Amino acid sequence: MQYPAFVIPWLGNGMLIALDAVLHVMISHGFAIGAISMIVLAESIGMRQENIDWDIFARRFLTALIIIVTGIGAPTGVGIWLITSAVTPKGIGSLLRVFFWPWFIEWLVFTIEVILLLLYYFTWERWRRERKRLHLKIGIAYLACALASAVLITGILGFMITPDSWPVRRDFIGAYFNATFLPQLSVRLGIAITLGALFATTFAAFSHTADGIRLAALRLYGRIALVGFCWTTASSIWYMAMIPSSYTAHIPFALLTSHFSDRPSILGNVMAAIATTIILYVLAASRGPLIVVRILSVPTIVMALFYVVAFERAREFIRGPYLMPGYLYANQLLLSESHLSRKEGLSNSTPWYQTLAVGDPEARGAFLFAQNCTACHTLRGVNGIVQRVKGRPEDGIVVMLGHLNEMVPFMPPFSGNDEERHILARYLADLPIKGDDPSRYSPYWRKSP
Amino acid sequence: MIGAIDILLPRPLPDAWLSGLLFISFTLHLLFALLALGTAFLAVCCYIQVRCMGHLEDDRLDRRIVKSFLGLKSLAVVLGVAPLLLIQVSRTVPMFSAINLLALAWLFLIVLLVVAFVFFDMMGHATQHYRRFHLAFGIVAMAALLAIPGIFAALMITAENPLAWSEMISRGYRLSGPLAIHWLARYLHLIGAAIVLGAIFHYFFSASQERERNHLMNWIIVGMLLQVVFGVFLFGSLPVRPELLANILIMAAVVLAMVLIWQTFITIRQSKPLAFRSSIALALGLLVVMLMVRQVIQDRAMLPVDNAARANAIVYQKKLAPYELAALADYRKSAANGKQHGESIYAGSCTFCHGELADGNGGEVANLSIPPEKIAELRTTREYLYSLLVKGMPGSGMPYFSVFDRNKLDRLIDSLDQRYQVLQKPGNLPVGVNSAALAQAGAVYRETCSGCHGSDGRGSSQSTAFKPPPPDFTRFSMTPRRTFEVITEGYRGTMMSSYATLPEEVRWGLVDHLQKLRTE
Repeated sequence: MQYPAFVIPWLGNGMLIALDAVLHVMISHGFAIGAISMIVLAESIGMRQENIDWDIFARRFLTALIIIVTGIGAPTGVGIWLITSAVTPKGIGSLLRVFFWPWFIEWLVFTIEVILLLLYYFTWERWRRERKRLHLKIGIAYLACALASAVLITGILGFMITPDSWPVRRDFIGAYFNATFLPQLSVRLGIAITLGALFATTFAAFSHTADGIRLAALRLYGRIALVGFCWTTASSIWYMAMIPSSYTAHIPFALLTSHFSDRPSILGNVMAAIATTIILYVLAASRGPLIVVRILSVPTIVMALFYVVAFERAREFIRGPYLMPGYLYANQLLLSESHLSRKEGLSNSTPWYQTLAVGDPEARGAFLFAQNCTACHTLRGVNGIVQRVKGRPEDGIVVMLGHLNEMVPFMPPFSGNDEERHILARYLADLPIKGDDPSRYSPYWRKSP
Repeated sequence: MIGAIDILLPRPLPDAWLSGLLFISFTLHLLFALLALGTAFLAVCCYIQVRCMGHLEDDRLDRRIVKSFLGLKSLAVVLGVAPLLLIQVSRTVPMFSAINLLALAWLFLIVLLVVAFVFFDMMGHATQHYRRFHLAFGIVAMAALLAIPGIFAALMITAENPLAWSEMISRGYRLSGPLAIHWLARYLHLIGAAIVLGAIFHYFFSASQERERNHLMNWIIVGMLLQVVFGVFLFGSLPVRPELLANILIMAAVVLAMVLIWQTFITIRQSKPLAFRSSIALALGLLVVMLMVRQVIQDRAMLPVDNAARANAIVYQKKLAPYELAALADYRKSAANGKQHGESIYAGSCTFCHGELADGNGGEVANLSIPPEKIAELRTTREYLYSLLVKGMPGSGMPYFSVFDRNKLDRLIDSLDQRYQVLQKPGNLPVGVNSAALAQAGAVYRETCSGCHGSDGRGSSQSTAFKPPPPDFTRFSMTPRRTFEVITEGYRGTMMSSYATLPEEVRWGLVDHLQKLRTE
């Protein structure tokens, strides 16, 4: 390990990334791609029917969205990067080396995308009549860029589960154009369209929309939401089929967590509930009274977002022990490094530890915990280790540490030599009885050399 | 940090290309970041003067300034992505070390960005109503926005001063001493640049009347004078004496600044508007030269660490080479491991303790103070076995396996039942027991065993706190032979001690008694 482990207390590193990323995905998929597609559609309908009400509706919707997209969507997107730079420097640093070009091109596309969005927004009132067609083209060009940036990123996300030939050949083409690239892209598009249409339906139901077009808008967007939802479901099945069964086997646990893993039937019921809610909403939008649409809108959007969260959670969880399959474990140790550490020890090859904490036995257990476990576990918070080792004797923990990856396939193996395994086991066995000392989150947390 | 190792994967481009792209993209980013910052500053100041103090009467200058913020900040954010990418690829160790050391502040950037952007948009929306609220929004946004360059300045100073890293840790992860003073100078110089650039930008693009132009001209002058003071402060606070190239560039920047100031004063004296082209060109030229100074100083500071990290990476790669094949084999094994069937779950998660034959004789037996159970000998119910699997056995090495969902554990139980009949009843005793021994066994159970196991076999009130606790005999038994064995030998590491002193007939009688306790 090249950097001292930085651990976010209670929430944990993974959960912080997850919270930020989910917020970003909702906005980038739901608003930046989905809802703005609906806006461009509304503008084009307004232009074709020469109906200014559609234009007003689209313009109002865009005004509401642009603040969220540029004010929250963009910072949380950069935020994923900021967080990973702090908590998994070696992971993100290695990914950047492999996928420099997709990321660099994505930056160019992203820049054009922002300029087009600003142009689309600021020229709406000024470009009317003969320039209206050009304005619409700007909107379409923006959507093309937004789509392109989604395409560019999906290759990298796919790599994290299906690296194809990369672990052996270290070839960019194999890594980037991998088996789950297209199916995952299809799922993301489905999600974008569904969310966008649901947001548009809801906006039409609640905003001061002219009555003449409100019904038409509800019917149109409701239908699009239904198509999008069917597309998402079909793509999800395609996506799952492309992932090796050694990964998909963990999906139930990924979604149920240890709290509900004894009731796997929940999964099917929740999925059925999501589908039912969305279908009811679409039915209400196309023929029901407005009040029903309004009442159903909140649960429907919550359900749809829940589906998105479940998809991202499962995808991130099942890649299991790896951050880069066949190369880097989730705890930022190389697979080969893990082997080396079994011979030479982990603390011996860590410059930070050698400089600052060597010879401090208290720090060593905490150091080993920080390096091996904190990518996923906190002490007493989310996925807390204290709860997990409670009642386990030290000898049992020593044995478990020796078989982590065999025993629980989505956990990386313990890295370190035999002595270190015993030190970590002692540290873990002592945790439930010792007080909560923040210095233990990381050996370097407020510790003098 | 001595011994820091670069990332082992190759860099995507030659260093010169990375540096060039970094310089270009960073210049663009900083231009818009400074414009956004200056805009925010001017907007809040203008708002106070226009709405709260009644200056400039019914002008809409503040609204026009606020309106440009949306575009400027969006471009600043998007343009900032490339420099972040490039510097993490080309100056990996110094950059990630600095981020790591200042991680809390670094993560707080996300909150600051969102607060600044959203609150600023709220301020700009419908400015004429609820003046105080809008002012409050503006001030909160301003405070958040002003903190952002402070964090980035601290980050770059940290990355440029690797020798200070240990000291920083011991001082609670912050800059101190001369570096803290340098940080202040650098921060102030950034703010000053934001005011000058923002004021020049809005002078040309937002002001529509003479009075508004004069107002912004005041800010240009204030900003320039501040920059002279801050610039001298910054030069004096540099932790290392700049080399010749940096000095030449600094001189060039000073000359450009003097020309800009001189030109501004001349136009004021002639009471003419500022010349558009030359002012913009001078301001941008100044920005570029200042960034070149920064680049030269930064390269000199970061290059040695980066080079050392690269050399270390080559050594480390050689050290890892012998393990590459084993690592790939690990990966292939885990990719092939479906974990769908009872057999494969048993093989991965159970064998190393309970043994391949489920005879409690796995490879780790010698390391456990409580021996693993001989699973093949168990005779219990599905629910009981399931609860053992999901709860584990506290006090023993048996962990809980709720990491497998119920369906998977059911498959494991099915496969155990198929192989060892663990869900069958315990079966008949292999020996006959006479009624006297049975009666004696009943008495022994009442007097001795029931203290822990309870008269009904469910465990007594005090024994439930044992680690591990005794099993529930109404739902759990073992083959008669194994039960006899445990009564005779005890269970090592638990409260169950040996009762070998009881006559053999009585022990078999006890086995019979226990089997009769089974109700399920």
